[in-house]
Amino acid sequence: MEFYPLQQPDEIAEREKEDAMGAYLMMFAAVAIGLPLPIINLIASIIYYFINRKKSRFIHFHCVQALLTQIPTTVINWVAVIWGVTILVSDQYEATEMFWAYVVFAGVCTLLYFIVSIVAAYKARQGKMYYFLVFGPWAYQIAYRVRPTDNMQTSEPMNKPPF
Amino acid sequence: MQSKTLRDILVLLTIGAALFAGGYFLVREISKSDYDLSYEVSMEQEEELGNLFKDLIWDKYPTVKENYADTALQQIAKRLVNALDSTQYRYQFTIIKSKEINAFTIPGGNIYVFSGLLELAETPEEVAAVLAHEIGHAEKRHVVTRLINEMSLSAVIAVLSGGDPSVLTQMLQSVISNRFSRENEDEADKFALQLLEDAHISPKSMAKFFQKLNDKNLDYNEDLEFMMTHPHSNKRIDRARKYKTRNNFSAEPFSIDWEKVQKSLNAE
Ligand SMILES: [Zn+2]
Repeated sequence: MEFYPLQQPDEIAEREKEDAMGAYLMMFAAVAIGLPLPIINLIASIIYYFINRKKSRFIHFHCVQALLTQIPTTVINWVAVIWGVTILVSDQYEATEMFWAYVVFAGVCTLLYFIVSIVAAYKARQGKMYYFLVFGPWAYQIAYRVRPTDNMQTSEPMNKPPF
Repeated sequence: MQSKTLRDILVLLTIGAALFAGGYFLVREISKSDYDLSYEVSMEQEEELGNLFKDLIWDKYPTVKENYADTALQQIAKRLVNALDSTQYRYQFTIIKSKEINAFTIPGGNIYVFSGLLELAETPEEVAAVLAHEIGHAEKRHVVTRLINEMSLSAVIAVLSGGDPSVLTQMLQSVISNRFSRENEDEADKFALQLLEDAHISPKSMAKFFQKLNDKNLDYNEDLEFMMTHPHSNKRIDRARKYKTRNNFSAEPFSIDWEKVQKSLNAE
């Protein structure tokens, strides 16, 4: 697999750094509005991703990383919300120790996610790469891998002379 | 690169599992700390506390003694108490004359049943179910635990050493209001089902009586204290209905004339 070279902090424009940082901070603005329903942050991340991904590879990487990590976090929180609502509404389910353990788990996960996001936002603002576990390398592949379609000009020309 | 990805995924999953396990133990510890508090009050102290309450109840409520209904209640209670593996309580069962549908347990294994509840019951087995549930609250020390949680341990100790009598009245109110946590109710239910089985009383009677309370709640808007404080969600009724008794289980009927019980209650 081939990858595009990474730019160094001094090669990245201020504007790019700000946009890359924004990918992580988007979530906080969204969380403030959508706290009871952990879906708005995901929607915001998706919108931000589509607006900014074409701007540069550095921005693309940070947007993808923010978006990818948003998915499990959202799923974890949704499970807690649905479980909780089910308990409230239904006679059949009750708030077991398992449920509260899950709520603690979801809460700590979200908190950890906030912390690493702030660190990532800070690094992005400085023009640095910052890789989350698992999601970092994955986002790197998506943003920096050289795709065959990228090099249309250098690949073999469509029309060739007969001899 | 492949193995590094795999390793990272494992690390992430491990962190997740550790967080979940941590959360689970945290929750366990928190829910346990409530329970442990009851050990701050010894059985002797609990009995003493119970005696203080008993005197107060004696003053405040008319009780029914030495009639057929009381004899029947003692007979039902005896069957249950004898079926207990072991107990630290000297149980006492008393009928309070009141139309309220209620039953409550005060510290020291003293259980009170309102005559309204006995009138609602159609069989001795249904009363047994309520008593078994209340015995569950006593055996699991829910009563003392809740008192400590609501009034603080120092307040309980102060009352024991002859403190402010108005605090005692307040405590009695809290005991009669019967507000146990859902976990406590579930625990008492499970205990009751097992005890009913051990006493050769069909655990189905619990479902029957709870269902009756539920239906009544829909029809009337009466003084359904027991119902209000013991929310019998369908889940609890279901659990009683589906309770699996052991294969050789056989119910032994009570030799109680239930009509006579009802009559003696009305005669009072
Ligand atoms: Zn109860």
